[in-house]
Amino acid sequence: MYLRLRPLAATAATATTLASTVFASTVLRPFPYTPGARLQSPLSHTRRCYAARTPENKRGEIDISAYPPERIRNFSIIAHIDHGKSTLADRLLELTGVITKSGKNKQVLDKLKVERERGITVKAQSASMFFEHDGDKYLLNLIDTPGHVDFSYEVSRSLAACQGTILLVDAAQGIQAQTVANFYLAFGEGLDVIPILNKVDLPTAEPERAAQQIESTFEIDSSNILRISAKSGLGVDQVLPAIIEKTAPPQGSADKPFKALLFDTWYDTYVGVVCLMAIKDGSIKRGDRIVSSHSGTKYEVTEVGIMHPEQTPTTQLQVGQVGYIVCNMKSIAEAHVGDTFYREKCPVEALPGFVPAKSMVFAGVFPIDAGEFDSLNESIQKLTLNDSSVSVHKETSAALGQGWRLGFLGTLHMDVFRQRLEEEYDANVLITSPTVPYQIKYTDGVTKFIRTPADFPDAATMQDFVESTMEPYVSATLIFPEKYLGNMLELCTTHRGEIQNHTFIDETRVMLKCQLPMAEIVTDFFDKLKSKSQGFASFDYEESGYQSSDLVKMEVLLNSEPVDALAAVMHKNSVVTVGRDIAKRLKEVIRRQLFDIIIQTAANGKIVARETVKQLRKNVTAKCYGGDITRKMKLLNRQKEGKKRMKRIGKVELPQEAFLSIMTKSQD
Amino acid sequence: MVLSRTPLSLYVHWPYCSFLCKFCAFSKTRVTKETDNERTILALLRELETTLALHKDKYLHSIYFGGGTPSLAQPKHIGQIIERASALVPLAADAEITLESNPTMAEVEKIREFRAAGINRYSIGVQTLDDQMLQQMGRLHTGADGLAAVDRAREIFAGRVTFDMMFGFAGQTPDGWSKELNAALDHADQHMSIYQLTVEPGTPLYRDHLARRTRLPGDETQAEMYERTVSICRDRGFEHYEVSSYARSPEARGRHNTGYWRGLQYVGIGPSAHSRFVDPASGRRVREVRVPDAARWMAACERDGQGTARVEEVGEEEARQEMVVFGLRMLDGIDNRRFCEVSGGRVLEEYLCMERVMEYVDRGYLVWNTGGRDCLSHCLAPTELGLQVIDTIILDILPAA
Repeated sequence: MYLRLRPLAATAATATTLASTVFASTVLRPFPYTPGARLQSPLSHTRRCYAARTPENKRGEIDISAYPPERIRNFSIIAHIDHGKSTLADRLLELTGVITKSGKNKQVLDKLKVERERGITVKAQSASMFFEHDGDKYLLNLIDTPGHVDFSYEVSRSLAACQGTILLVDAAQGIQAQTVANFYLAFGEGLDVIPILNKVDLPTAEPERAAQQIESTFEIDSSNILRISAKSGLGVDQVLPAIIEKTAPPQGSADKPFKALLFDTWYDTYVGVVCLMAIKDGSIKRGDRIVSSHSGTKYEVTEVGIMHPEQTPTTQLQVGQVGYIVCNMKSIAEAHVGDTFYREKCPVEALPGFVPAKSMVFAGVFPIDAGEFDSLNESIQKLTLNDSSVSVHKETSAALGQGWRLGFLGTLHMDVFRQRLEEEYDANVLITSPTVPYQIKYTDGVTKFIRTPADFPDAATMQDFVESTMEPYVSATLIFPEKYLGNMLELCTTHRGEIQNHTFIDETRVMLKCQLPMAEIVTDFFDKLKSKSQGFASFDYEESGYQSSDLVKMEVLLNSEPVDALAAVMHKNSVVTVGRDIAKRLKEVIRRQLFDIIIQTAANGKIVARETVKQLRKNVTAKCYGGDITRKMKLLNRQKEGKKRMKRIGKVELPQEAFLSIMTKSQD
Repeated sequence: MVLSRTPLSLYVHWPYCSFLCKFCAFSKTRVTKETDNERTILALLRELETTLALHKDKYLHSIYFGGGTPSLAQPKHIGQIIERASALVPLAADAEITLESNPTMAEVEKIREFRAAGINRYSIGVQTLDDQMLQQMGRLHTGADGLAAVDRAREIFAGRVTFDMMFGFAGQTPDGWSKELNAALDHADQHMSIYQLTVEPGTPLYRDHLARRTRLPGDETQAEMYERTVSICRDRGFEHYEVSSYARSPEARGRHNTGYWRGLQYVGIGPSAHSRFVDPASGRRVREVRVPDAARWMAACERDGQGTARVEEVGEEEARQEMVVFGLRMLDGIDNRRFCEVSGGRVLEEYLCMERVMEYVDRGYLVWNTGGRDCLSHCLAPTELGLQVIDTIILDILPAA
C-alpha cells in the first residue's frame, strides 16, 4: 500500500556479475539455462545449494509450473522489533541465491528509508526463493510482516497469505510484548508456528530461559526448538528444511477455476497498480481476463510474476503460489485489499476478505506556507495512493487556514507518514496534536464521532443535549523484569489505566495486562515506559472498545483569542495539570514580540492557567559592521527563513514547536 | 568639478595590532619581528592603483584608516596612501580623512605627525574606563590612558575627535555604566561611538561565553544600559543619529560610516576589506571582498596587483534590502529618492509591506519625515522606540518573497 521503488539497477547489476563470474554465462538472468526439473542443476549436489531457477522464454518469463502446492510453502517471520527478523530474511535470501552474499545485504526487504532508519517494517514485502530439500525442489515464498502494533492490520493481511510462520525470539531478551501480540494473530489465523531462538551466540543469550518462556506463554513444545544466529549464519541452514517439514503446503486445486486473494498492492508509475495475490485455485497467465468480486470490474492481465526479489515475470502463476499481477488497474482505490479475483465467466465464492483498517489517531495537517497548499495536496494524494489506511478529509482551521484531517492507525503510523511527506516529497507541514476518535451520545439517541476538537460540543450543548461522552480503550500487554513491577503499575495508574492482572512468564519476568484509554498512549506513554524500566519493558496493545468518560475540551487563548488548532479534548481530571503545563510550555517557545502576549488555557469557560510573554524591549545590535554588510545580510536571510516557518495567528507569531509542545506531555 | 561627480569613500585596512582584543572579529595579526611595514605599504599602494583605476569619474569624499591598528603604521606611509589616492581620484576639499587609534603612549606621540600626513579626524578606541575590564579584554592601556589620549588628540584635531565606548561587559550594572559614560563624556569632543559588546563567533570572547567562563548581562539589563546611553547623551548635548553614533551637531557626524548606511559607494583595500560600487564599465552593482589573511593578501597584491578574493554582483532586490536594513539604523531613515534610484524606479511605498509600515507608524515605531540632513525627499525613519527593536520591524516590513 506504499509507493514501492522501481527495481534497483544495482541489484540487477550485482546479480549479473554473479552469474557471469560463477557460471561464465552471458545470460542476463542470474542463473544458467537448465531445462527445468529434468536436468540437474550444476549446484544441486551440495547441500547448501539453491535449486536452479527454471528457464526463461523469449519474453524473459520464467516457468514455475513445475511447482505444485505440495512443493510450495508460504511463510512469514514474526518477531519483536530488533529480534533479527530482517537479518534472518537477508540470510535466507542469500542462502537461496536470490541476493548475492556480499555482506552488504542489510534489510533487503525494508526498502523505505524510514524502515531502514528506524529498524522497523512498515510495509509487507514478499520474496520468492527456490530451494532443494531431500532431492525435491521447492518454491518458498517469504511474506514479510510489519512488527509494530500500528500495522497489525498489515500483519493479519500478510498472514492470510501464509500457512506457516517463524516466531523469532531473541535468546537474550526473551519474549516481548510484540512477540505475544503477533503470536496470537498468527494463532488466530490457524498458522503452523515454528519457534526459533535467534542471537544464541551472544554472551548474554539465555536460550534455555527463552525456550521456557515460549513453552509457558504459548504452550508450544520447545524441546526441538531451533537455535540460530542470523547474523553469523549459525544454524540458518536448518530453517528452510524446518519450514518445509513443519508447515502445511497451501490447499487448493489446479483443476478448479482460478481464484485468488488480493493481499497487497502498490502503485508503480509505469504500469499502474501492482497486485500481490495468493492463488487459491487454478492458474493465471498473461492475456487472461479476471474480475474483482468486490466491484465486478474486469481486467486484462498484462504480466504475472514473482518477487525475486524484484518483480520477475513468469509464464503463469498457479494454485498455491504467491506472486504479482499487473492488469491495467489505474487507481489504488480499485484495488480492494482482501478482494477475491476470478476468471471472467467463471465466478467463484468470494473469500471472507478483511475488515478495513480503522483510523485510531486523527491529526490536522497544514502547509506551513499557505501558498504550498496545492503541492501538499498532490503529495498527500500520492502518498495515500500507496497507503489506503490513511483516511483523508479536508479541514479548515481559523488559525491555520486550509488543510486536512488525516486518520492514522496509530502514532507511529502518523510519524512515518509525516517523515515520508518530508523526505520523499520535501513538504513542510505542521501537524496538530493527535486526537483519538471520541464518541458523543446525544439525548435524542444519536451518536457522533469526534475526530477534531473543533467538533466537540460547546458547554451549552453539553449541558442540554449530550447524554454521555465516551472514549476508546485499549487492552495493553506489558512485559518487563520483576523489579520494575512497581514502576509499571504506577505508570498505568497515572495514565488512568485499570490493571487486570499480572503473571510471571518465567522466574523473573512479568506480563501485565491492563485497560488504558487510547488517548493516554498517543502522546508519550511509550517514552515513559522505556525510561521507567530502563528500556527493559515492552508494550503492545489492541483496541478494546469504548467506555464512558468525563470529557472536556480545553482551549488555548492567545491575547484572549481562542486558537482552534491548539485545542484538545481530554478527561476532566487532566485539565488542570495539562492546562498549566501547556501554558508554561507555550511560554517557552513563543518569542517575544512588540507587545505582551497573554497565554491562557481554559475549560468549560474557566481559565485554568495564564502566562505572559513580555514585550520585546530591544533587539537592535549596536554594532558597527564596517564595510562588511554581508554579515548582517546573511543574518537577515536566516531570520527571514525562520520567520517563514512561523504561523501567524492574529498578530502572534507561533513557531512550529508551539504545536509540538501540545503533543508531548512533560514529566509528571 | 567635483559636484557633477559621484562621491566615493575609500577604506584602508591596516591588519596589525600590538595586542589582540578578546571581542574583535575583524582581520588582524599581532605585530612580530617579521611584520614588514614597508612591504605592506607597497602592497596597499599597488592595490590602491589597481582598484581606484575604475573610479576616475568619481571623487573621494572620505578616507578611513581602520584595522587592525592603523595608528601603528608610520605617519609617512599614511601620507603616501592619501597622496596616491588623491592623485588617482580627485579628493574633495572638505574630505573627511579618519584614522583609528589605540590610546597607548607610543601612538599618542605620533598624533601631530598624522595630522601633518593629511589625517583630519581622529578616532580613539578607549572602549571602557574600567582597568580590570581592559586587562581582561586583552588591551594594554588603562582608562586614564584612554582619556589622556582623547585630551591630547583634541589639542591637535580640535572638533574632529571621536572615541569609542562599549557597554555590556560581564558584571556591569546600569548604574555603573551611567557613571562611567558620564565620566567619559566629560572628555568628549563633538562625536561619540557607543557600542554594546557583541559576542561574535570565532572570537575568544565567544569561546568564553560558550564555556560560561564569562557571564554577560541579560537582555533586560542590556536594554536598560542602551536606553540610559541614549538619554545621557541627549542630556549632554549629543544627538543620537545612528544605533551606536552620537554627534553634537549634524556637521560632526561621521561621513564615512554614514556612507555605508546610506548605500553610497566605497572601495576597500587591505586584507578582508569590502567594496561596493557600480562598475562604470558594465553599470552593474558589485561587491568585492579582499583575501582575509594578511600574508596571502600581500602575496596576491604582489602577483596580481590586487588581493581580491570574491566579486559578486548585487542584484536589484538585494540592493533594496540593503538600503532598508542599513537605512533604518539611522534616525534620519531611508531617503526615498535615493531608494528609488537604487531600486529601479520603485519608491518605498511600492516595495515595503505598507500595511505593516502603517501599523508601526500608528504605534509610534516608524515615522515619515520630510527630510533630514542630506535627505533629498521624504524619508521613512525609526523613532527612538522603533530603533530599539528595528531588527524585528525590518523583518516584518520587508516583502515576504
